[in-house]
Amino acid sequence: MRGTYRKAVVAEAAIPPSNEASPLVTDLLAFIARARGSEEDFNVLALRLFAHQFQHNLAFQKFCQQRGRTPRTVRRWQDIPAVPINAFKDLTLSCLPPEACERVFMTSGTTRGDVKGRHYHPHLRVYDLSMTLNFRARFMVGQERMRMGILFPNEQLMPHSSLAHYLALALHEFGTPDSRYYLGADGLLVDDLVATLRQVQSSGEPFALLGASYSFVHLMDALQARGLQFQLPAGSRLLDTGGFKGQSREMAMDEFYGALSQTFGVPRSACINMYGMTELSTQFYDAGNAVLPAVKSGPHWIRTRVVDPLTGQDVPPGERGILAHTDLGNFNSVTTILTEDVGVAVEGGFLLLGRAQGAQAKGCSLAVDEFLKANRV
Amino acid sequence: MKIHAAYLPGLNAAELPQHTLSFGEDAQRVDVAVPQLTPAQLSALAAHVRARGGAQLKAMPVSQIIAAIDCAIERLLNAADPYRLELELLLPRITGFDAEMVRLGLNAYLKTFRAPQLQRFVAEDFANPKLLDEFQPVPKGGMARAYGPELLVHVWAGNVPGLPLWSLVCGLLVKAPAVGKVASAEPLFAPLFARLLAEVEPRLAEALAVVWFKGGDTASERALFGEADVVLAYGGNDTLHALRAQVPITTRFLPHGHKLSVGLVSAAALDAQQVQAVARAAALDVVRYEQQGCYSPHTFYVARGGRVTPREFAQALAGQLAALEHKFARRDLSLEEAASVTAWRQAQELRSFAGHPVELLGDADASWVVAYSDQADALQPCALHRTVQVQAVEQLRDAVPLLAAQRAYLQTVGIAAAPHELHALAGPLGEAGATRLCALGQMTAPEAGWHHDGRYSLLDLVRIVELEASAEAAAEQYAPYRD
Repeated sequence: MRGTYRKAVVAEAAIPPSNEASPLVTDLLAFIARARGSEEDFNVLALRLFAHQFQHNLAFQKFCQQRGRTPRTVRRWQDIPAVPINAFKDLTLSCLPPEACERVFMTSGTTRGDVKGRHYHPHLRVYDLSMTLNFRARFMVGQERMRMGILFPNEQLMPHSSLAHYLALALHEFGTPDSRYYLGADGLLVDDLVATLRQVQSSGEPFALLGASYSFVHLMDALQARGLQFQLPAGSRLLDTGGFKGQSREMAMDEFYGALSQTFGVPRSACINMYGMTELSTQFYDAGNAVLPAVKSGPHWIRTRVVDPLTGQDVPPGERGILAHTDLGNFNSVTTILTEDVGVAVEGGFLLLGRAQGAQAKGCSLAVDEFLKANRV
Repeated sequence: MKIHAAYLPGLNAAELPQHTLSFGEDAQRVDVAVPQLTPAQLSALAAHVRARGGAQLKAMPVSQIIAAIDCAIERLLNAADPYRLELELLLPRITGFDAEMVRLGLNAYLKTFRAPQLQRFVAEDFANPKLLDEFQPVPKGGMARAYGPELLVHVWAGNVPGLPLWSLVCGLLVKAPAVGKVASAEPLFAPLFARLLAEVEPRLAEALAVVWFKGGDTASERALFGEADVVLAYGGNDTLHALRAQVPITTRFLPHGHKLSVGLVSAAALDAQQVQAVARAAALDVVRYEQQGCYSPHTFYVARGGRVTPREFAQALAGQLAALEHKFARRDLSLEEAASVTAWRQAQELRSFAGHPVELLGDADASWVVAYSDQADALQPCALHRTVQVQAVEQLRDAVPLLAAQRAYLQTVGIAAAPHELHALAGPLGEAGATRLCALGQMTAPEAGWHHDGRYSLLDLVRIVELEASAEAAAEQYAPYRD
């Protein structure tokens, strides 16, 4: 394995980095396209990507060197240094110069005011393949296309939102021709959506409604104000993502899925939550929210560790820790990121338990979070 | 082990439903049972304390109240006293702080509440302390008397051991019967003190009540605040904002928000002979209560031009923190706290990659971090738990605008400087928003009678009643002995 790895590094150094035609990207696309991937194959590809990123991204190289990790010393994907998501705000984490990248996705900037994290994508072939294969398996479950309604702005309105791109892909790749957005520049198009919901309710055509969790809250409030509830046809599904982010009132998860199920007549087992991040190129899903918290899992090209933030080591099984994801889809940025999400590893995936952010000061000294909040414009 | 914490005169706590607050794990675990009162029971308790406790308390001269507090404090300073033993056993388990740190901290703190210090405390706010006992002649003419609130409500926050004692004592000194709500993070100290006080001075047995309810329980807050003349609250701005919304407009609300404090080190303190002692003092200020106090330093601004450079000072501070790690172990961090410390450390590191001259001293697995920067920035909070910044400035006065950037939050400035510098800095620091200037090494131990956050601790609580000279003069006309 060592020999192959060395050869690969030499070969990749000679080819323009992250080029679509580079063997690295070709091999990556092939790996993603496979039905499944072994631990060993994942490891080989992760280490190749690490060597590539170490060589072509100087900020990342320094970050690794500070930890004594280099392509010489890292032998397992678990040892690739996890880059905190805040680094996407402070550093340019890209192997290609940003101006050579076709697309940049930015974080919504909810935690540090005006500073947005930036994730550079030289092209979207990897992102799009990752999204479509995974979405087909986890949301479409056997359907080729479904009539869809999107509760989020389109890509023209939000060109730097990875979620806008994700939902556009869902609509175009998996939606029937009468699928459409129900959120415009002026907000929710409640009348249009009510008409559609009534129509599918009577026609019996399964319907999929997808969007930000907070948009669902706004929608449910609007429907409740009109005294409306629906009984969508069997096979209908809902997909929410991203939590409430201060954009709507906060709801407890149980209350949220209870309300969703009641408002749309969709069983909680067909209410899917997607867990994704601007800093990743791959998403996680659960298999419905009948039982909470639901187990989240991803496809074979992303792996998750639950770590102790102080040591970076895996916590013992069953203990809470911070989630670190290694996403091979992140071929141009960094494969491995340290999130601010608390989780616990379970059979078949992990449970997402919320954000570690917001550690409450126990004393009377000002805490970082409160300070940031106070200084937010 | 399981203990009960509350002090409810006139109520049988055992008959009330209990809520359990758990601390620590395994053999160290402590379950603290706190009674749960309904809003109606809270109102009734407040009325009881106001009527029964108030009658007793208001009949006592301040000197006797001071004697009673002094007696209780003496008990708490006695290493063999059962109350003291209870504190020493349980406070480290409840707060997670190092036991020796708690023991030393309690001694230093309690010493500031002995009779002479309490008298000074009163004299600080009242040139004539007898104003609290009876009408006294005042310089402008006429007479005046200071009345404490009929009922004072305290809302305490945080886990710094003994913190509630400040406001409890302030209330007693102005003869205010009080109901205090303990924080979930430290429910032990206040009820223990109330119990002890009742034991040493039965006349004070009904002057205090200590309750618990969950933060954000607006029905309980409204019930309690509705009975109060003054509400004194500690907490973050969000908490204070929410509390204020429950306080009737006719009730005085005295909020104490979270604060930021810093240290300043002059070139005069930076020679080979002194640097270790200065660094030791600074390190102690950091280690004590893990920077969780409002008076704990987040950043040290260090002047260039001494024999020892700011960077060498940072290294000396790192060395002292490493040494203190063995003497006082850092408390175990929750996952959220650990994530916050790690995020702060990484943020410093990222700044260095982005071209800021930041250098991290201390291994990733050390229980402390010093972030040294050759270039000073506006004051920012660190992640607490022994994370601290050292930043170089040309001269200490260059740090003043950096502090002024956070004037709403600024509190204590610990200073190591020569006398002329100290006095030259005092004015600008006051203008920048600081309310307390002290020696390095003393940041976590404010002196008796300090003006917390720059306010009058006692005067803010009272109502002055003036008997004007006109009334005195007019009364003469109706005297039986008039001419």
